[in-house]
Amino acid sequence: KHVNLFTGTSNSCNSDEDVGEEKAESHDPEQIFQNIQYQKEIMSNIRCRPWPMRQKLRALRQAKEIVLRYEGRLTRTRGYQAAGAELWRKFIRLAYNFVVIFIPWEMRIKKIESHFGSGVASYFIFLRWLFGINIVLTIMTGAFVVLPELLAGAPFGSTVSKTIPKEHLSSAQDLDTIWSLGGYLQYSVLFYGYYGRDRKIGKAGYRLPLAYFLVGMAVFAYSFIILLKKMAKNSRMSLASASDENYTFCWRLFCAWDYLIGNPEAAESKAAAIVNSIREAILEEQEKKKSKNLAVTISLRIIANILVLLSLAGSIYIIYFVVDRSQRLERTKKELTLWEKNEVSVVVSLITMIAPSAFELVAALEMYHPRTTLRFQLARVLVLYLGNLYSLIIALLDKVDSMSVTASNSTSSLATKTLSKDDNLTVPNVQMERNGFVTSEEHRTQGLAVSDSLVNQTISFSTQNPQDQCWETYVGQEMLKLSIIDMIFTVASILLIDFFRGLCVRYLSDCWCWDLESKFPEYGEFKIAENVLHLVYNQGMIWMGAFFSPCLPAFNVLKLIGLMYLRSWAVLTCNVPHQQVFRASRSNNFYLAMLLFMLFLCMLPTIFAIARYKPSLSCGPFSGQEKIYDIVSETIQNDFPTWFNTVITYISSPVVVLPALLLLFMLIYYLQSIARSLKFTNNQLRMKIQTERTEDKKKVVQMAVGKLVTFINLDSSCTNFCFLARIQNLDANDKRPEQETDIISQESSVRSSTPRKNGSVLNFESPVSKGTRIQTISQSVPQTVPATDVARPVNATPTAATSLTPAPSVSSAQKPRNDHITNRYPSVVHRSASELCKTKPYTPVTFKKHTEDVHSDPLFRKAIRQVNSDNLGAGAPVFLGCRPYATRYFLVNEKESRKKSLRSASRLQRHFRKEEPGDIIELYPRHIRRYVVRTPHQLYSPHPSEDEEDEEELEREFMNRSHRPRSLSDLRPAPRFYIGERADGHVLMSKDLARVHYKSWDDGFELDLDRPPYAYKKVHLNHPEPRVKPKSKQKLEQSLTESDSISIESSSDPQNSSNDQYIQVIHSKDKYPKAGTKPTKKKSKNSVDLSMSEPGELVCSNV
Amino acid sequence: MHQCRLILWNIVLVYENINDSTKSLSLCLRLFYRYRDLAPQLVPLDYRGRPAVTLPYGLIASMPELKDNPFRQRIAEVFSERGDGNMTLDDFLDMFSVLSEMAPRDLKAYYAFKIYDFNNDDYICKSDLEKTVNKLTRNELTPEEVSLACDKVIYEADVDNDGKLSLEDFQHMILRAPDFLSTFHIRI
Repeated sequence: KHVNLFTGTSNSCNSDEDVGEEKAESHDPEQIFQNIQYQKEIMSNIRCRPWPMRQKLRALRQAKEIVLRYEGRLTRTRGYQAAGAELWRKFIRLAYNFVVIFIPWEMRIKKIESHFGSGVASYFIFLRWLFGINIVLTIMTGAFVVLPELLAGAPFGSTVSKTIPKEHLSSAQDLDTIWSLGGYLQYSVLFYGYYGRDRKIGKAGYRLPLAYFLVGMAVFAYSFIILLKKMAKNSRMSLASASDENYTFCWRLFCAWDYLIGNPEAAESKAAAIVNSIREAILEEQEKKKSKNLAVTISLRIIANILVLLSLAGSIYIIYFVVDRSQRLERTKKELTLWEKNEVSVVVSLITMIAPSAFELVAALEMYHPRTTLRFQLARVLVLYLGNLYSLIIALLDKVDSMSVTASNSTSSLATKTLSKDDNLTVPNVQMERNGFVTSEEHRTQGLAVSDSLVNQTISFSTQNPQDQCWETYVGQEMLKLSIIDMIFTVASILLIDFFRGLCVRYLSDCWCWDLESKFPEYGEFKIAENVLHLVYNQGMIWMGAFFSPCLPAFNVLKLIGLMYLRSWAVLTCNVPHQQVFRASRSNNFYLAMLLFMLFLCMLPTIFAIARYKPSLSCGPFSGQEKIYDIVSETIQNDFPTWFNTVITYISSPVVVLPALLLLFMLIYYLQSIARSLKFTNNQLRMKIQTERTEDKKKVVQMAVGKLVTFINLDSSCTNFCFLARIQNLDANDKRPEQETDIISQESSVRSSTPRKNGSVLNFESPVSKGTRIQTISQSVPQTVPATDVARPVNATPTAATSLTPAPSVSSAQKPRNDHITNRYPSVVHRSASELCKTKPYTPVTFKKHTEDVHSDPLFRKAIRQVNSDNLGAGAPVFLGCRPYATRYFLVNEKESRKKSLRSASRLQRHFRKEEPGDIIELYPRHIRRYVVRTPHQLYSPHPSEDEEDEEELEREFMNRSHRPRSLSDLRPAPRFYIGERADGHVLMSKDLARVHYKSWDDGFELDLDRPPYAYKKVHLNHPEPRVKPKSKQKLEQSLTESDSISIESSSDPQNSSNDQYIQVIHSKDKYPKAGTKPTKKKSKNSVDLSMSEPGELVCSNV
Repeated sequence: MHQCRLILWNIVLVYENINDSTKSLSLCLRLFYRYRDLAPQLVPLDYRGRPAVTLPYGLIASMPELKDNPFRQRIAEVFSERGDGNMTLDDFLDMFSVLSEMAPRDLKAYYAFKIYDFNNDDYICKSDLEKTVNKLTRNELTPEEVSLACDKVIYEADVDNDGKLSLEDFQHMILRAPDFLSTFHIRI
């Protein structure tokens, strides 16, 4: 579509103007309306047109003017509507501009993008997107859980779960307590334990516990939905790229440069990256052929993988060990140091920081392709992060497990023995007091003995113990702690690894013994993939802990804001872009897929904990329930009408659930199969397009080859072919009633027009290749006039008759026909009249000529044979040796074979083949006959005998036929047309074409195809002299004048030109037979004619 | 300043229609000021009379957005009306509107084709490709590598087997590239 636009654009402005003016003349409302539509179209898609700005402006102004001028005439209201729409659009635009201001960090990201390209920017865009998600999560938890609790819930200190235990009160404000999220922080809205268990709070009766549960679930649901939505959108956007077409090199070349880059360093590294990627691609291409030293690489890779697995296992073990150790420490030591308190998070963060670098080192061993390396690296890091999180959460849940057991034990014992209040606090009890969860261990180890000691608990202890045993708070604390430590480490790493390193490298490199900037430390690279993974990991932590610590998303928002500023600052000041091009364009779903994976895996432990464990008894909104999710059913039972309850019970009964599940599965399966089949059809269609395109191209190539062959030989046959095509075209122009010819002509015109797209050369090819076959046949026929019977029984007899029949019959038959022609075809009158006058006096002569022709046939044959031999190469000897019959057969065969080889012409050929018995075959013989007999009458003389039908019929036929021959003769101009076009690229070739034809025939006569180009001219000059005859004077004159006029008119008036050429052809033929008889006359005119035709001929001969 | 804004208004309104998008107005103004900043002594504030001011290529290429681009000369040549890299305001606006984010991708592909078609023969032939590679890689590849890469490119994208890439070939290839739209634009 666009290509067309482009081609039309060069003069589009003027043409538009013309069109506009032209249409402006008409006052037909319909036309005006159409014009307006047209102009509006121009206005709407003007920006899609690759015109220079000035031209666009001009076109636009014109279009607007016209629309304004005429639209008012049609409707006023429409104008108002348009104005309104315009206003609305402007308003929308303004609003949009206003909104853009509020897109956070837009300018910052754009700045980064313009420095480092879209790859780096994609990290920040991802970061911003995560920030958006966290904002929503924060709002959800804040609005529905935290705020109600703060506003309407019981105030701090009012209940047991909201007061700090007395023993801790003294240290509640210590820094290290705060740091480990104890003290005041532990008893705040940050954590699960603070929330009250009242079913309704405030005057309005806000159901906080229900809200807590629902929000907890909604966080996951929202994350899932938003992720999937984004992924679907992205995949829709990247559909085009999903196709499996292979454009490795193209894309590496043409899409390599990031036009956004506006920083010399970034440009340099980008250039280096491009060099790398091209080398890679070349290497890859070469490696497809050879594989080198597999054993070493494979063993290395195995070693590397073992190393990676070991490090993964090691990290998991370390984490588990650290968690275990911290538990032991808490149990055995009263006062924990800062390090001991934060051991777990620090170790986990350290591992997450160090391990990726270790993996990178290991990956160097493997010698993978860099892209594969990157993928492996990412996969390993992801596994590592997941392993860390999971080992941590499993260790925590392990603790939780024991805690809940203790809790149940303690409560039961408390219930039974609350009254026994002894003051003797054993050491273990104190410990238990301090760290409630530790008791579990003791329980396990000491068995019943501990329960005895529990009996001795004081009341104070019994009141405090449940607080400490709030496992949800504990998990929340750990996650928050982990998140905080992670943030600290990120900041530290940015400062240390990027900033200070950058400082050192920049300022110490002058006084260092090697080049710091390019050798060892260099500048820190911005590793997009690793950083994105880190974000994913971070978000995973949030999801994991969000249920137990409602403020975690809020904290994450702050963290992401800090990260955004810090990272962007670091990137702009002290980082260089990664050498390895990471093609995570915005449409890439890679990040999102990882995030989705993370979300799913992080949701599992939470869901598991919710489903598996009993909520803490003395803290949190769900205390006292058997399971956390009981809150829902409880609410439904108590607060909804009974009918709703029954409905719910029905719905949740297996009778309903199982079929529903089945239905879902079926639906999924059905949709999936549909998707698969669509994919399949999609692939098939794509294949089809591909093959069709390649076939088209092959066709073009083959046509080009065919053209070459025909051109090299440039014989009469070649030129004649062109006639056929041309004839058909002309016929089409004449708009004759005959359907067959029309079809042919249409086809031919289609043929001739379609290739034009590809340029003049191609254009030329198609008709030629088409013609070749046809022509060969037609030519073979003249040689074998007597033998026509064999090939075409129907026509053969007439031809034979023509050639052999005596003169009188011929003449008699001719006259009426010619008359008819004149009558029926006024347009042709001119020509027919001239013919008539020629033919009538002629007839006796023609007859003689005829015989002469018969005699001269050998000459023809020779010429043709030569031509053919030139054309066909190997086939030539057969030709020469064989009789005329053979020749024809050969030609026919050749046609067949060509059919196979030339796809382009296949359709036309088929057409011919089909109609062989009918019209076309007739055409050929006639054509031939004409050549043979030199006059149209003779051509048609056989008709009466042949058909033996009514006069009318005959006449009609005759007309058709006579017309056709003329058009055939017209065809001769056609060849010139093409040749001229090819040689000169000019349009007015009809005359030249005629010449070519002429000349080619002459060539045929002379048998001197191999002559140098200039020889032709001489030939012509020589020939005309002998050819001259008294009758031909008139014709020659006519031809001269007409050819002139034709040259002026060129293709505009096909009929006229055709007439002219017809005459010319006849003339030439007449000349030939008469050559021997009257060599003296008309020299001058002929010579003039020839001289005029010289240039064209020369051109042709050059061809 | 307000005065010149009013003067510019007419132009801007027209351009706004051309780049029918949300930001075009401010973009146009910004572009105009950028253009003027390149040579304040040459470019008048009053553009009513459509003065025939043309900035030389050297000034255009010194813009930070372009100065690191290996194809800056081609870009300037393609978008300048006379093909010599010297730009009028119209050309300048044209260039950045095509290279903006809002430009339709077919248009982008068309101009990308023009940019890579160094000899302006409407085909990307091998010599064009070699120039492209050398500009991209700053001549760091050996001639053999360059030639190999070019051959592969032609092999991949040349659908009609004529040994060079036509506009159709190029568009067919480039519009499937995942990165093309995100990388073929200049932010200003």
